[in-house]
Amino acid sequence: MTSMKMVEVPLQIFRYKEGERPHYDTFTVQVPETAHVIDAMDAVWAMHDRSFTFRRACHHSSCGSCSLRINGVEKLPCITRVTDVWDGRAPLRLDPLRNFAIVSDLVVDVSSFFQRLSAAGMAITRDAEPSLPLSVDGLAVIGVSPKPVELPENLSCFNRFENCIECAICMSACPTMATDDKFLGPAGLAAIYRARQKTDNPIDVAHLLGMADGEHGVWRCHSAFECTAACPQAVDPAGKIMALRRELIGRRFKKR
Amino acid sequence: MENPFAQEPKATSAWLWQVFTGVGLVILLGLHFIANHFIAKGGLRNFADVVAYLRNPIILVLELLFLVFVTTHALLGVRAILLDLGFSERTENRLSRVLRGVGVLTVGYGLWLTWVIIH
Amino acid sequence: MATLNYPKIRQAGRWIDVRRRKLGMWAYALNRLTGIGLVVYLYLHLGVLSQLARGQSSWDSFVSLARSPYYLALDVLLLAGILIHGLNGLRVALTGFDIGVRAQKTLFGILMLVAAVALVAAALKIFGG
Repeated sequence: MTSMKMVEVPLQIFRYKEGERPHYDTFTVQVPETAHVIDAMDAVWAMHDRSFTFRRACHHSSCGSCSLRINGVEKLPCITRVTDVWDGRAPLRLDPLRNFAIVSDLVVDVSSFFQRLSAAGMAITRDAEPSLPLSVDGLAVIGVSPKPVELPENLSCFNRFENCIECAICMSACPTMATDDKFLGPAGLAAIYRARQKTDNPIDVAHLLGMADGEHGVWRCHSAFECTAACPQAVDPAGKIMALRRELIGRRFKKR
Repeated sequence: MENPFAQEPKATSAWLWQVFTGVGLVILLGLHFIANHFIAKGGLRNFADVVAYLRNPIILVLELLFLVFVTTHALLGVRAILLDLGFSERTENRLSRVLRGVGVLTVGYGLWLTWVIIH
Repeated sequence: MATLNYPKIRQAGRWIDVRRRKLGMWAYALNRLTGIGLVVYLYLHLGVLSQLARGQSSWDSFVSLARSPYYLALDVLLLAGILIHGLNGLRVALTGFDIGVRAQKTLFGILMLVAAVALVAAALKIFGG
């Protein structure tokens, strides 16, 4: 068995519980050198403080749950190696995402984020998921009798080919999101762009573009391009906002 | 419950005017600078030179156009910064009206001053 | 659920803190700061021009003040603000129309280089006569 090189990482973590003042707690954990920041967070929870609250699920940048700020910069800790962000000396600082109300420690209230996405028609509801369990490669899942999956008839409308994993990192990085509660935000506007790409129905197109054309839509963007720089999935929300602007201007001049 | 983000608000043109006046200013400010500081001897006109300069009708039109463009662009910029302070919609509309008034007063002052100088 | 919300005013001032932010954010903050400076200058300039309404002696005494090296140095600062704001503003206008979005960082670099060259040339003219 080859020995794994371990590192001792100090983590300075933002803490907030209802009724208490926000503050930072520092924990030192031992993790393998190849560990990701999420592993260090798991170690804090397991070894030091079971009240430490954070979101995590897939551990491979597919669910978007774990997004937070590492040393002030928005990242997904599940794909960020400790050694890539830790200088070996100062504690690694973990903060929750910006521009969302903080529920507890690193968990923020993302309901308004999903409201923005569903306004563009980009949210998938629970009804759409096919029934489980599935059999994998024809083999039975141990202890469970596999049953044939009943797929909905119009399965294609539940397929999504999106880069966006709904991590809300762009919303945290965006300077306008800090100042305007009604701003659709990079994710909301990118969702409108994507939804517009998928339809040619003039009523749907008019509605989507109408949402984007207002004071809190594409025109509120200040071209900081932070969203595109921070996005871990190459959605390029800033590019989508500018493309929407071009379409909106084109339509205004065509009307005249 | 209706999704507040699914509304179609009134389309806004402020950003477009900001760009239009901004691009216009690259030209008008450029002309203003060259005429007043690079053509004028010593980089500044004395009183008599200013009067003669403004009595030229083409110059007069360009300088007044410059004033309108720069005031519009400046106050739209101030509005953009104020809109980022998280005020209510009513306050924002009030601020927009106040700034429009400031703009009118600024251009009015410029027109008055030009009139006084020429005559 | 008692969530923690930071006051809007504190959040609204965040654009100034560009540490650890990327180039686009630096450009945005720079444009805002130069813009604020230029608005202040605009109204100062309009105020100073009222000397013209006071007649020849008032204006001409202002002109001799405006030729002092201290004043000329401030003029160079003003020019820097104008060039940065104007040229970056062109970039904001272009990208805002979906032109050059992929190259926005390069565009910023090129335009600021143009600004630097123009500024040096103008400063030489201003101080050289």
